[in-house]
Amino acid sequence: MNRYDCFEFLAPLIKDQLVIGSLSGQRVEWGHLCRHEGNLLVASMGAALGMGIGLALVLPHRKVIVLESDGSLLLSLYNLPTLGNLSLTNLVIFVFDNEVYSGTRISEPSATAGKTDLAGVARSCGIEGATTVREIDSFKREAKKAVEENVLRFVVCKVDPTTGHRQIERPNEDLWEHKYRFVRYLERTEGKKIFLGRG
Amino acid sequence: MPVLREDPSFMLIPVANESEGVSIAAGASLGGRPAAVYMEGSGVYVSSYNLLVLGKRLGVPMLLLVAYYGSILDVRNSFLYAFPGIHLIPILQSLDIQYEVFHNGDSLEDKIKGAVKMMHAIKQPVALLFTGEFTA
Repeated sequence: MNRYDCFEFLAPLIKDQLVIGSLSGQRVEWGHLCRHEGNLLVASMGAALGMGIGLALVLPHRKVIVLESDGSLLLSLYNLPTLGNLSLTNLVIFVFDNEVYSGTRISEPSATAGKTDLAGVARSCGIEGATTVREIDSFKREAKKAVEENVLRFVVCKVDPTTGHRQIERPNEDLWEHKYRFVRYLERTEGKKIFLGRG
Repeated sequence: MPVLREDPSFMLIPVANESEGVSIAAGASLGGRPAAVYMEGSGVYVSSYNLLVLGKRLGVPMLLLVAYYGSILDVRNSFLYAFPGIHLIPILQSLDIQYEVFHNGDSLEDKIKGAVKMMHAIKQPVALLFTGEFTA
C-alpha cells in the first residue's frame, strides 16, 4: 500500500474536520493534496498526536484527524495511555507505518519492522478497536468510517517506504503563517476569538 | 490539584510526562482554550524539545507553572534537587522563554495576570517558577 494513494482517497473526504500532521514525507504529500484551512501540519516528530488530543478535548463537537508516522509515534508512545484513559469520540489517528526511519535518507528499520505491533500497544493502553490495515481497500473503509462515525479510531496503515515526496515542491508558507491560517479558520468557523492578546 | 479538580472552569488532564503535557496544551491553546502545564523543574528538561518546536517555533501561548525545587531559596533543597535547580533558569534563557520567580505570595494574582497577558501578547510560553515559601 502506498501512502500517497491513501491520501488521494482521504483528501476529498475532508470538509470541516481538523487534520493534524506530523513530520516526514507525509507532511509534504498531504499539504500538496489537501490545501484545507483546517490543516495544522506541525512539522515535528512526536507532537501531532498530543496536539490532536488537545484540540479534540476543547472542541468536542469537531472531528480531529491525526496523521502520524511510525517514527513519530514511537517517539511519543506516552500519548497512548493518556488517550486510552480519555473518552474522546471525535478523534481519529492514522499511523502511516513504513517500518523505516527515512528522514536521514538512510532507511534504517524502525521497531515496527521487528516485533513491535503499534495497534497492539494501543489496545493494551485501552484504545479499543485499534487495528492495522495493509491493503488500500481496507484503508478506504477505515477512512470512510473515520469521517462518518463518532468513535475513537486508531488505524495503523502499513505502507511501502517511498521517496515520492522528494519530487513535490515544498510550500513557501512558514509555520507562523500556517498557524495563523489555521487559527483564523477556527475563529471563523467556531465564532470565537482564539488569540486573546491585543495586537 | 484538588482545588483545580473541583473547579468546573478548569479541564484537568493527567499526562504521562511533561513533554506530552506541552503538546496537549498546545493543541488546547490553538483550539481556543487558554492552557497551563503544571510541572516540577525537571519537567522543563523533559519537555524542552516540544517547548522549542511548539512553544517557540510554532508560537503557541501557554503558561508553565513550575515548582522550582533546587533554587537557593528552596527550603527543602538537597543533593537531588540542587543540580536540576541550578540549570533550570539557564535552560529557560537558552529557549528564550520569559519567566518570573515567585518567592512568596506577594502580589501573586497581579503577577499571574501579567504573565497571562504576556503569553497572549507574544504567543509563546511564559514560565512562573515557584520557590521559597512555596517549597515548604
